[in-house]
Amino acid sequence: MTKPDFGSLLRILAEHGVDFVVVGGVGAILQGATLSTFDLDIVHSMDPANIARLLAALGDLDAYYRAQPEKRLRPTQTHLASPERQLLMTRFGPLDVLGSIGKGRRYQDLLPHTAEMTIGGGTRIRVLDLETQIAVKEEIGQEKDLAALPFLRHALEESRRKRGPQ
Amino acid sequence: MDDPLDPPLEAPDHPHDSSGVDVTLIRWMLDMTPAERLQVLQSFVDATWKARGANDET
Repeated sequence: MTKPDFGSLLRILAEHGVDFVVVGGVGAILQGATLSTFDLDIVHSMDPANIARLLAALGDLDAYYRAQPEKRLRPTQTHLASPERQLLMTRFGPLDVLGSIGKGRRYQDLLPHTAEMTIGGGTRIRVLDLETQIAVKEEIGQEKDLAALPFLRHALEESRRKRGPQ
Repeated sequence: MDDPLDPPLEAPDHPHDSSGVDVTLIRWMLDMTPAERLQVLQSFVDATWKARGANDET
């Protein structure tokens, strides 16, 4: 198993000009939630030009489907144009490429609910806000998603308190 | 002697609510930049990997 290196994963996606939104645990932690995770979850734009850039980034990352590692199956344009989840392993650890989250929310639906952030090395990324992360987890309603909700709600509450009255 | 009906001079700090989330840790995270928060996560992953490797060797 390859050790996750979140900074390198995000940097390579950004260097290839991929339009994506960071969701899930990494997105929550970037906004102050005290969770832990071992994979990076992203939702990408399904614009054909963006899928081409994502394919190039995934090639650079040596990405393959992690369910059957011995077969080294690679994602294709068709896979990335579907709303399904592509659970990949890369040279910088697990990467989940999601066509949609919750009840069919795609990149363009999520974009108005994101914030731009700078991580190390000047890499700029878009992250799904905590309000929408909470709504998505409530929609999914799986045990692991419900377990994360108190951490997300407290992070949102403390973040609002820190910002003060708007 | 203190009147028990008087409020305490300092309100007791209750960092955990009924869900058990430690709010002091969230405040600590919120004092950092996003890049620093990512470093905290990466340090956690690195330490976990190192510990797992050490266990594999025993």
